[in-house]
Amino acid sequence: MCRIELDHVSLTFRVREQYQITLKEYLLRGMFRQSRNPLLKVRALRDVSLRFEEGQRVGIIGGNGAGKSTLLRLIAGVYWPNRGRRVVHGKISSLFELNLGFEMEASGRQNIIYRGYLQGETPKSIRQKLPEIAEFSELGRFLDIPVRYYSAGMLVRLGFSIATAVDPDILLIDEVLGAGDLAFRRKAEERMKSLMSRAKIIVIVSHDLGTLAELCETGVWLSQGRVQMVGPMHEVIDAYRQYAESPSTGAGGVIDSPDPLPADFAELTAC
Amino acid sequence: MTAYVTDVWQHRHFWLSLVQMDLRARYRRSVLGVGWSLLHPICTTAVLCVAFYKIFNVPVRTYLPFLMCGLSWWGFITGTVGRGCQCFVEAEGYIRQHPAPIAIYPLRAVLGGLIHLLIALAVVLVLTWSLQGFHNLATLPMVAIGLSILLVFGWSMAVLAGYINTIFRDVQHITDIAFQILFYLTPILYPSEILVRSHLAVFVKYNPLTYFLRILREPLLGALPSWRAYAIALGCTVAVTAVAVPLLGRLQRKVILYL
Repeated sequence: MCRIELDHVSLTFRVREQYQITLKEYLLRGMFRQSRNPLLKVRALRDVSLRFEEGQRVGIIGGNGAGKSTLLRLIAGVYWPNRGRRVVHGKISSLFELNLGFEMEASGRQNIIYRGYLQGETPKSIRQKLPEIAEFSELGRFLDIPVRYYSAGMLVRLGFSIATAVDPDILLIDEVLGAGDLAFRRKAEERMKSLMSRAKIIVIVSHDLGTLAELCETGVWLSQGRVQMVGPMHEVIDAYRQYAESPSTGAGGVIDSPDPLPADFAELTAC
Repeated sequence: MTAYVTDVWQHRHFWLSLVQMDLRARYRRSVLGVGWSLLHPICTTAVLCVAFYKIFNVPVRTYLPFLMCGLSWWGFITGTVGRGCQCFVEAEGYIRQHPAPIAIYPLRAVLGGLIHLLIALAVVLVLTWSLQGFHNLATLPMVAIGLSILLVFGWSMAVLAGYINTIFRDVQHITDIAFQILFYLTPILYPSEILVRSHLAVFVKYNPLTYFLRILREPLLGALPSWRAYAIALGCTVAVTAVAVPLLGRLQRKVILYL
């Protein structure tokens, strides 16, 4: 039985204002004057409680920096919560940062194999899938040269072709519906639809409200790392539209926050 | 713990193929292929051997395999810590996408180095046989024990180096300097016996690396290392591993925040 359960989950990042600290600086700290590189706290997710069951298609919406991608990565197990509990049952396939995670010196074909292994393929199963993945990417002879020579779009094509070649229980998608050029996009959309029909739980982050309304029946609206609203997709979209288009947006008029912030960004405070 | 090891094992195709790729990438576009990794210790050995023969009149027959074994071993130690420093930074693309067990990235760093070491040691073995005959056959199986200890030690060191360097990116500069000093405080160029009357003897005696070298070089060249050398090397390995293993849980949760 597949299931995603987030129980009062919070995630805080600590960042430096200017650059990453060096060991020299760390050891010498305090010996001289106060560091001019203070530590700041970003509260990316705050007290998020969500529960998705088998068969649910979830769309996550919200402004830039509201915590949508962070939430998706937390579900994927890439980020760990500072507080709260994350329980996920089922095989996850995640479609985000598709242009990352390649061995630049290795060929496209080799990279298909490495990523396939990372996704849990065996030498036997990946050998069976390789021709299909290669064909879908349409990279042809480019598959035999190092990935270093690929354009950004070609990398996305390769990443997409590999990531969608598995049969996941849980599918996590971050804004990749617009991957590649026009011809590839049409193909990718079709592939995505067939993948979505097989996956048991789907969570999509997107700014394309029209597509979300079409694909999902459950909606989550995030703002400043908090869950603003959960409900039927069209209701959430309506509420979000109303908020985003209202003139008071930006002054924190709609959001009942003790410390109104511009836009939906997560809260940034000094440590 | 058992679940973690199983998880690492389930990802074996992934890290093994990356190790294979690392080895292949190192020799891509080179005519000599693996030859290059051997050429370096062979050339250094040849140069030093000639120099020391001229200056100190060392016996080439015994010094040549002795020196090459030491230099190859040193290459493994510095290479493992150097690659280890980069292991998580390098794997950022994978770590950002997939929650694979973090232990596989230091494993990638150490396994590549180990295979290099094995190739170099094969050359040392041939050198020893052709220069001194087959007198080392009895102690040769002990080399495997030395290599196993070295593998675990190397992995733990790679975890620590990777951890520190991911947080403080200037660590590699510090280790480079430290290795410059350690090179002379480890009996690589000279047998430790000749130091008896020098002040350096104390440093060499208390340098744990000395014992990691002895448990590899002595059986390879036909001598049996003292049980004390094994005890110290093993003790240090256990100590470093005892720090590295509990760190894995923390790394799994935190390393992404520093990338």
